[in-house]
Amino acid sequence: MTVPFKLVSPAKLIFEGDAELVIAVTTEGEEGILPRHAPFLAALKPGVLRANIIENGASRRLELATGEGFMQALPDRITVLVDKAVTFEDVDVAQTRAELADAPDSAAADFARAKLQLTGHH
Amino acid sequence: MASVKDLRGRIRSLKNTQQITKAMKQVAAAKIRRAEAAQKQARPYADALGEMLQDLIATSSRIDHPFMNSGKAGAPPGVILMTADKGLAGAFNSNVVREAERYWRQHSDTRFYTVGIKARNAVRRWGLGDRPGWPLNAPSKLQTADELAQAVTADFTAGEIGEIILVSSKHVSMMVQRPELRQLVPIERETAAAVPAPSSGPRGAVEIEPSPEFVLSKLLPKYLEFTLFSAMLETDASFYAAQLLAMNNATENAGKLIDELTIAMNNARQAAITKELLEIVSGAEALTGT
Repeated sequence: MTVPFKLVSPAKLIFEGDAELVIAVTTEGEEGILPRHAPFLAALKPGVLRANIIENGASRRLELATGEGFMQALPDRITVLVDKAVTFEDVDVAQTRAELADAPDSAAADFARAKLQLTGHH
Repeated sequence: MASVKDLRGRIRSLKNTQQITKAMKQVAAAKIRRAEAAQKQARPYADALGEMLQDLIATSSRIDHPFMNSGKAGAPPGVILMTADKGLAGAFNSNVVREAERYWRQHSDTRFYTVGIKARNAVRRWGLGDRPGWPLNAPSKLQTADELAQAVTADFTAGEIGEIILVSSKHVSMMVQRPELRQLVPIERETAAAVPAPSSGPRGAVEIEPSPEFVLSKLLPKYLEFTLFSAMLETDASFYAAQLLAMNNATENAGKLIDELTIAMNNARQAAITKELLEIVSGAEALTGT
């Protein structure tokens, strides 16, 4: 079973398609949403967003480091709004480490941590 | 009558000008496509944000957020004046600036925030000193919007300004750009409810985590930031549309002038030739006519 899923940032529509499962980091902790979820709205904090999406008929894992945002789940669709999102390929580990070292307590640092988590460098 | 040499010089300089305006026209045409594409890309986010805001407002009957209440009574209004960084776009910048100036004449205590070099210069010209300002074309418009939103929010919550007003250009069509003044904060319930959202009919109780107040306290600043961001995109698109029109007119006007001057030059040249011939003929007549 799948549900239409949309992931958007102010700069662009990052993903639009069908998903089997969406897991996002809300301010209360990780939240996994399956199709036909009851109406739900939550604020997201920087973290790794995971989703099982359907692409060309096959299921695939989508993983992105995302900034602050919001997630809205309805029985018939899931919408996630984020400030920014990067994929594994876009993360420059050395540079991200430097960002983190510069300002370990800022909001940007949380996003930097999310990026490192995405690449497996904690 | 101007000499042939003068006219030829003027025609040459006009042709150079025309070449520049033509090039600028083509650049504007290319840039407006990009600006409009950026606007289009921001559309899904606007829709989703509007829908979430509606859901929240519908759910919580009593919303207690500074943005939803009127600001400190008697505090001066805060106006964000948004123009382009450059000129050469007809009356584009001055129209927006004039709109803000009219408001300022009525509310002399207005505190300005500027986006765009032209806006900054205008506020300086009015003798209001250096106000916080950002260029329109920074590497990241989103970051500018974020900084600007934070600056006005801080002043609003501190009671230094009583409302937040945006003066910017509305991109009505390729031919029409209209300056627009609108109040952003306090957000009126009707305004928030009127945010266009693809409606999916009534839905049951929405579970909001951790609480509607908390999500709203995150969503409203985001809403302000995004409104500023999309206004910046719109200003960009309007600016290039205005520039395209201005440069098109300039190119046409230069063409007309070149035509007129070319005719004048040909006349002058012909007159000179005729005069010379007359002199030769009458000189010869005088010699043989004796």
